[in-house]
Amino acid sequence: MTSNLVDPAFWSRLQFAFTLTYHYLFPQLTMGLAWFLVYWKWRALRTGDEKYNQGVRFWAKIFGLNFAVGVVTGIPMEFQFGTNWADFTRYAGGVIGQTLAMEGMFAFFLESAFVGALIWGEKRLGPRYHFLAALGVAIGSWLSGYFILVTNAFMQHPVGFQIEANGSLGIASLRTYLLNPWAWVQFLHNQMAALVTGSFVVTAVGAFYTLRGLHPIQARLYLRAGTLAALVASVLVAFPTGDQQAKMVGRHQPVTLAAMEGRFVGGPVAGVAVIGQPNIPDRRLENSIEVPGALSFLAYGTFQSYVHGLGEYPEETWPDNIELLYYSFHLMITLGTLFILLMACAGFQNWRGRLETNTWLLWVLMLAFPFPYIANTLGWMTAELGRQPWLVYGLFHTRDGYSKVVSNGDTIFTLIGFIGLYFVLGLLFLFLVGREIAHGPDEEVVAGRGQESFV
Amino acid sequence: MIATWYGIVSLMLIIYVALDGRNFGAGMLHWLVARTPEERRQVVAAIGPLWSWHEVWLVGFGGTLVAVFPRLMASAFAGYYLALFLILWCLILRGISLEVGGHINDRLWQGFWDFVFVFSNFLLAILFGAAAGNVVRGVPLDTHGNFSMAFFTNFNVRGYVGLLDWYTVSVALFSAVMLAAHGATYLTLKTEGPVHDRSAMWGKYLWAAVVPLFIAISVESWVVRPDLPEHAIQDPVCWLGLLVVIVSTIMLISGLRTRRELRAFVGSNGLLVGLLATGAAAIFPVMLHSTLAPENSLTAYAVAANPRALRIASIWWPMGFVLATTYFVFISLRYVGKVSVKRDNQGFY
Repeated sequence: MTSNLVDPAFWSRLQFAFTLTYHYLFPQLTMGLAWFLVYWKWRALRTGDEKYNQGVRFWAKIFGLNFAVGVVTGIPMEFQFGTNWADFTRYAGGVIGQTLAMEGMFAFFLESAFVGALIWGEKRLGPRYHFLAALGVAIGSWLSGYFILVTNAFMQHPVGFQIEANGSLGIASLRTYLLNPWAWVQFLHNQMAALVTGSFVVTAVGAFYTLRGLHPIQARLYLRAGTLAALVASVLVAFPTGDQQAKMVGRHQPVTLAAMEGRFVGGPVAGVAVIGQPNIPDRRLENSIEVPGALSFLAYGTFQSYVHGLGEYPEETWPDNIELLYYSFHLMITLGTLFILLMACAGFQNWRGRLETNTWLLWVLMLAFPFPYIANTLGWMTAELGRQPWLVYGLFHTRDGYSKVVSNGDTIFTLIGFIGLYFVLGLLFLFLVGREIAHGPDEEVVAGRGQESFV
Repeated sequence: MIATWYGIVSLMLIIYVALDGRNFGAGMLHWLVARTPEERRQVVAAIGPLWSWHEVWLVGFGGTLVAVFPRLMASAFAGYYLALFLILWCLILRGISLEVGGHINDRLWQGFWDFVFVFSNFLLAILFGAAAGNVVRGVPLDTHGNFSMAFFTNFNVRGYVGLLDWYTVSVALFSAVMLAAHGATYLTLKTEGPVHDRSAMWGKYLWAAVVPLFIAISVESWVVRPDLPEHAIQDPVCWLGLLVVIVSTIMLISGLRTRRELRAFVGSNGLLVGLLATGAAAIFPVMLHSTLAPENSLTAYAVAANPRALRIASIWWPMGFVLATTYFVFISLRYVGKVSVKRDNQGFY
């Protein structure tokens, strides 16, 4: 984004980045939380224990609010391909249109048909169908993630296309396009990250109730399920998925890897900077502290491997904002590491039976929930800033993709409109979710088997 | 192949209008048919659980449009820039008003979201109507297949037209009245008590108003695009669409007369589908007509993706459509009959 402010591509980029980043705050919770609902619904069916159903009812309300904001902020995304990125759509629509349409046909219909049933339909559906509704929503939301990641993977690492007579791209093989290795790695990495968000939020609410001394049975359920899922997901998001993602970048976008690490000179035994600020004009990393050989090992498998530096590539192929890319990537890694440490700690305390009594830990768990959102956002910033200056990597520049007939003023106007509308939406969302959490799960005194867990 | 895909894309948009049209209609009539907070909850319950399912058809339509007619998406969406964002913002407000309205049992809160709900639905009905008018009338496409236009210019229908002119405004008005009638018919089917009675009454008035408006816009369309009727007469699909319109009108009238609410609602849907299908067939193969020069018009053949893309899409699209229909039948069967505010948890939290 070194481009100046009269550059229309800049404003369309900013608008897309803003609306997409905001939108993705919601689906990441949907995709993570959905599996908690499925699991609890399944446990309720198996054990008949009413606490699971109470948990589902409580979280379904939050899920519903979250889903609604996700839907309404998601619709503009698809339309922006046409409104702001018309030349990109002309160029690549023949390929990426396939997955955009499949997302609608296979994922959204499934998701939206059952989400109403999940939230409001328990009485209309009965327990079995209600479980199936939860499952349908979970599968639909993950499928939707896959189709969108195939679309993004095509922009990162185009496969399965052919160049048409008029210079635009057409699909050559749907199978190759859908099974893009980049898409699989990115999908698994991204879904694990969504699970981290979901489980941190569940944990935080559990910790909040425990500290308050409210809803003890529900709090225990959230805290245990949340910390366990968070530990597993935090580990998986780093290894193997994050690791594979970095290797993928090293293989197909070596210049991006160099920029992510602020590495100007190529060479063997490349280190990972723990601390350091890239200085682009002087082409060096200021006051860096490195783990020697770590980057060589992570990217190519041995400590001796040669890692390319930015200096080996012409400047016009460098990502156009190296500083932002570097900080996004490094902060994401730092947060990811802290998530593993925190949840390992929680897991250990749980094993010792002291999770509910360790006030310090509960405070940290309660306040940790925003950080997976930050880490997810940073991950996407790394992916998208790293792809620059390309819109379709190696084929089509970002600066060629925006709509030529749309003026800067129009884009700025609609950007401001979105900022205003989304600000209000955010306030409303927080207010209502806050109310739901303050109100808490409805704990009816249940006779019979439900009583056993009151211990 | 391309004609088939034109049909499929049109079908998806038509399904969207028939499904979400009832919500626009119910939203516009919200204040008129429901007076007390409990009555208003009933209206929300009638559309609440399914609005996102209806709205997803618009997303499905958009995605399919990119897949098979990418260059149309590029020209039309960039050209309609501000109008489209207005639609998007209204869709956001409408969805949010439905979701959050019921969260707090407070008169001011309810009143505010009721207002947002009515306002956004009204604007959506008007905007989608104006959009339909624009498709028929055409837009100032240049030789590169680009256009950008003002909200209005001199209100004429040729040359450098704006989004609104005498023709598109009358189509917008027609759309608002017709969708309101559609919504009234739906609410009559789904509600009980005073809301039901008022909806039935408004349904009758509105359907009566649709008749002169329909005659008016038919004549106007003929004036704006004299080439369309000539083309339509030779197109069997137009005749089929007209047949659907006639059968649906009979069903609707008999349903309204004999108080068979389901029959009336089926007729109302059929009428919408028939009218839109006839229109879509009449303008084919032109997808975006140029008001500057006929040779600038974008035809389905010129904007389509490569034949392979269409072939691939014709493998998975039917599967997706069958799945979507299955969910629809499943969900609809669960929601047969009158809504109950209590059973559908549309009371206050």
